[in-house]
Amino acid sequence: MEAGAGVPLVHLHGAGGLRITPAHELLTRSYRVIAFEMPGFGNSPENTRTQTMPELASTMGWAIQKLGLDSFNLMGTSFGGKTALWLALQSPQSVHALVLEAPAAIRQPGAASPAGTPEEIARLLYAHPERLGSIPLPDPAVRAKTQPLVRRLRGPDRDAELEARMQELPTPTLVLFGTLDRVIAPAMGRVYKDLLPSCHLVFVYDAGHGISIDRPEAFTEVVTDFLERREAFVISRTETVIHP
Amino acid sequence: MKVSFFETVRYQAPQALPSEWPVPSGIYDREAGSRAYQDMIERLEYVEELGFDWVSVSEHHYSPRILTPSPVVSAAFIAARLKRIKIALLGPIVPQSNPVRVAEELAMLDTMAQGRLVVGLLRGTSNESLTYDLNPAEARERTDEGMEVILKAWTEPQPFGWQGRHFQYRTISIWPRPLQQPHPPTFALGTSRESCEFAARHHLGCGVSYGSFESVGRATRYYREQCALHGWQPSPDQIVYRANMLLADTDDEAQDQLRKLPGQAPFSMRPAVRDAMMKVDARNIAGEARSPIVSGALPTTFVGGPDTVVEQVRRCKEVVGAGVLDLSLHPPGSRDVEALLRSIELFGKKVLPRIRDI
Repeated sequence: MEAGAGVPLVHLHGAGGLRITPAHELLTRSYRVIAFEMPGFGNSPENTRTQTMPELASTMGWAIQKLGLDSFNLMGTSFGGKTALWLALQSPQSVHALVLEAPAAIRQPGAASPAGTPEEIARLLYAHPERLGSIPLPDPAVRAKTQPLVRRLRGPDRDAELEARMQELPTPTLVLFGTLDRVIAPAMGRVYKDLLPSCHLVFVYDAGHGISIDRPEAFTEVVTDFLERREAFVISRTETVIHP
Repeated sequence: MKVSFFETVRYQAPQALPSEWPVPSGIYDREAGSRAYQDMIERLEYVEELGFDWVSVSEHHYSPRILTPSPVVSAAFIAARLKRIKIALLGPIVPQSNPVRVAEELAMLDTMAQGRLVVGLLRGTSNESLTYDLNPAEARERTDEGMEVILKAWTEPQPFGWQGRHFQYRTISIWPRPLQQPHPPTFALGTSRESCEFAARHHLGCGVSYGSFESVGRATRYYREQCALHGWQPSPDQIVYRANMLLADTDDEAQDQLRKLPGQAPFSMRPAVRDAMMKVDARNIAGEARSPIVSGALPTTFVGGPDTVVEQVRRCKEVVGAGVLDLSLHPPGSRDVEALLRSIELFGKKVLPRIRDI
């Protein structure tokens, strides 16, 4: 999916595949949003080639280059958060700023991937599944096809090599966790903050793992502000004049 | 049973006061105010000596009935003057506060009071919405979110931002943190379904007030059911019940005092405001709608001589399950300080030693 105009914002989806959310549409008001479907997800053939997350990241890096994008903002969701983190480590010069939505790169011990019927998975992923609206639930057949790839690539709960390299990543990074995330413990956010030299951790109130579905406006506001001003986004621009 | 003394500061007005809320501040008497705070300390020293476990303070505005618009200031003043008693701040009205500021002030207080702080967080009574122009329709949501900000600010070790619905912060990282870890004993105060559920979800205590044993008992039962759903069981110390008590030497004397109590709240909103408020300020007990208390006097649930009151406390424990009673031993706003002191003494000497095992 590609829409909008402005500085490119590349999005890498979660383990459930590409799902266009209201947040994508809100982001297109400020950015040229390019949301990839990664190989093996959606209706693409099963991906038996990619063996590791760094491999998937370099494949995605190549695909982005093919679009003629030398530099861009990068956003990754959950599983795709780990892909985005590896991609930023592989090409730090290309990535202006990194946004990680409920990233799965660092997980509490024994964190399980959501499982069950599509409805059960939705209840686990979202604090407000009713806000999915017309967004379709994941297709069990597609899920069955992608599961081996996801299991292969998700890696250990704590990946020593990745965490060592994160300490040298200069890219300004925004890490977002929903306060009601039941897939990845929001407390994992503090590990990113510990490791990454330039990291801002933000909790999105009343959101589950799928923040951009649960609170699209809140999600887009903080992401847009961060991408525009990076570290300076901590300076408030909210006007409080009630009557001139 | 643990016992908390609810301190309301007894302002003894030198003249008759209008009965409406807000009470014009121009008739405030500085001498009487100054004396009220000094007398409060003397009274609390006695309360501490008698062995009460906590002294509690609350947040109320724009009237002399309860003279603690900033309970943090009263709590700090009390904590500095008393040595052993726990200071229960029940509590800041969360929806009209800056929750980060509340977290900071309570952490300071807990540290300065050497871990003697107990915290209750609440939405506040109906009239308080008028104090700082809070939309009553938003009060519940702001309370829940504000409480989450406070808990997160106390416990999150890394600087973080908060992207809320009613509150937004790019950076929170409070100093000092509370002395008690992970945070002071904290209660969500209120009988509502939302408040009980919040307390259960966050492993907090539950505080109920003023209703009959049966009505507040419905709320505490709902709270315990919710805790069970979240896989834990609260201890009796995690249920606090605030109530009025009229204690006298004999039952007859106490009943006589009860008959003399005014039937109306001392400073109530104008009828038109009250009626409009009732339409927008939805309240419930464990999910069952109740009308906001806006004009009637608060009920007195413990009345009698020492023997009767001990039995009432026993019954309260059975029905409400509270392990802490937060008592107003004479109606707040009453100017009869002598009667209050007699009740304190009677309670401390004739009741307190007999309810410890309940």
